[in-house]
Amino acid sequence: MSVIAHQQVAAGGLWSRMSLGQKQRIWAWGFLAVPLLFYVVIRFWPTFQAFYLSVTDWTITRPAAFVGLENYKRLLADALFWQVFRNTFLYLILGTPISLLISFTVAYYLDRVRFMHSFIRALYFLPFLTTAAAMAWVWRWFYQPVPIGVINDILASFGIPQQPFLRSTTQALPAVLAPAVWAGLGFQIIIFLAGLRAIPVTYYEAARIDGLSEGAILRRITIPLLKPTLVFLVVFSSIGFLRIFDQVYNINTNDPGGPLNSTKPLVLMIYQTAFSSYEMGYAAAQTVVLFVILLVISLVQLRIMRDR
Amino acid sequence: MATIEIDRLVKRYGQTAVVHGIDLAIQDGEFVVLVGPSGCGKSTTLRMIAGLEEISDGQIKIDGRVVNDLQPKDRNIAMVFQNYAIYPHMTVADNIAFGLYRSKLAKSEKRARVEQVAQTLGLSHLLERRPSALSGGQRQRVAIGRAMVRDPAAFLFDEPLSNLDAQLRTQMRIEIKRLHHRLGTTSVFVTHDQVEAMTMADRIVVMRDGRILQVGSPLELYEKPVDVFTARFIGSPTMNLIPASLKEGRADLSIGGSVKVPSLSPSTPDILVGIRPQDFTPAEAGSSGMSASGTVVVVETLGSETLVHIESGDQTIVGSAPGREVPKIGEQLTLHAPAERLYYFDRTTERTLAVQ
Repeated sequence: MSVIAHQQVAAGGLWSRMSLGQKQRIWAWGFLAVPLLFYVVIRFWPTFQAFYLSVTDWTITRPAAFVGLENYKRLLADALFWQVFRNTFLYLILGTPISLLISFTVAYYLDRVRFMHSFIRALYFLPFLTTAAAMAWVWRWFYQPVPIGVINDILASFGIPQQPFLRSTTQALPAVLAPAVWAGLGFQIIIFLAGLRAIPVTYYEAARIDGLSEGAILRRITIPLLKPTLVFLVVFSSIGFLRIFDQVYNINTNDPGGPLNSTKPLVLMIYQTAFSSYEMGYAAAQTVVLFVILLVISLVQLRIMRDR
Repeated sequence: MATIEIDRLVKRYGQTAVVHGIDLAIQDGEFVVLVGPSGCGKSTTLRMIAGLEEISDGQIKIDGRVVNDLQPKDRNIAMVFQNYAIYPHMTVADNIAFGLYRSKLAKSEKRARVEQVAQTLGLSHLLERRPSALSGGQRQRVAIGRAMVRDPAAFLFDEPLSNLDAQLRTQMRIEIKRLHHRLGTTSVFVTHDQVEAMTMADRIVVMRDGRILQVGSPLELYEKPVDVFTARFIGSPTMNLIPASLKEGRADLSIGGSVKVPSLSPSTPDILVGIRPQDFTPAEAGSSGMSASGTVVVVETLGSETLVHIESGDQTIVGSAPGREVPKIGEQLTLHAPAERLYYFDRTTERTLAVQ
């Protein structure tokens, strides 16, 4: 090192004449260049490409031609789009609160359990590590009629009539949502546990001395102090449910999207438009719409839940 | 206001006992400081009084009522924690009002109480702020405010000043002391800092390894420590201890020389002679008392006094010179202590030897 430095000084090189600040900036930009390049080429470029494609009629067999907002007009007039739009929002407004409520309840009580704590936590985390495809297949079996389906078996043993689940237009969406919620629980529980652990014990002790009941402690202390965790999980899981795809695709492989498209989310529609119908321009327009929805919802949530 | 009586109090975690049956009676309105090194059981004792830890054995009475099985909220005590435990998501006013959570006062009365407390603590202009916008001292005052607002039977302080910087600590010490004078509420204060104990307490309880070593006023502890531990724990810098052996009414010091001692009855002739640095001053050797000579190795200039460390034999001895007198390092120096300022301990039992 010092030999090189000496040589540079002797040569009066550019590097040796730079100030410390300039050298630091060169190093910083040197390291930043690699991820920046990666993001621009792998992420940003295709994104802009998608925006461009959404105003063309490209179908892979035919070169792209500019059609203006034609794809968007078609989308707004498409009954399937509004069905899919409704489904996607059902996933969101059912999935996010249900999954957060369950995972918070589990984390809240698991936090107090010392006996086999790590083991139980690992059990909850396990589904998160499992591939969605394998999980969807297992759940598909659960939903089968007797004697294959476990759930119908149990219902039958209580004398409750058989349920169609995935075959019903009304039950299919909740039936698809259940494994998705279950799969995400492990992650949410871990995050909630970390959030709960970060609250100093003395807060609770002080509250006990002041005479707060368990419920009041939860309402007045635990939940307000968990707000950063909550914001993170709400945004994170909302994005997850808005982009739901593999659960839906795999649970009904022979008929992706369920009976009468009753489970079809936006991403599945994009997938089918692009890779079954090869209408790339139209699919790109749908992608742009999804992007805008995600952006708006995330911003609104951050705004509402931001610390005032 | 209340008395607190602790009777053969024991705390066990599984098989390990951390408090071994202590007895303590705290008078109404008294300010008692539990002091000792970490792990001595002082905080555990306080938490048992508060009801945050279960009592394994023995009894605690607050105002004559056995509280062993009472919830913290039913003991009518207030506690101030080391990390303040004030809620970051609430304003100062809400934090203080939290102390009144269970009270059945009307909203306006609660508000008046909060304002009154805030005024006492000089927090009036900060009531609408969040704790994150406060300094450490102000946060601690909010915590005290929350404790005060309920007018509890007793205040329990769990090392409340440990997170403050030195200057603020001194200031808060005085504030708490003045507050106690004004309110006259029974207070139990836990600290590991002997200066805090000395300056604040009506009575100090010195604890070690889950046992009480000595209970007494600050001066009693300073003047008449019962053993080596208390003698070294109280007073700063710590007391010098010089090994000596008794022979015909004199103690032969390990650092050379001897000193005439009163009649003592140690278990063996081996004793320790203790001298507080403040009593060990540079002087010409007097007729009575004790002298030690050595080379000056460290000088600590404090302004009001100068602490002088001399090396005598294989021992370093700390003495005190007047503020403007700064000996040079390497200089030979003789320190002298009057006979009546010497302490004697049994070297085997480490107990103070009674002068007969």
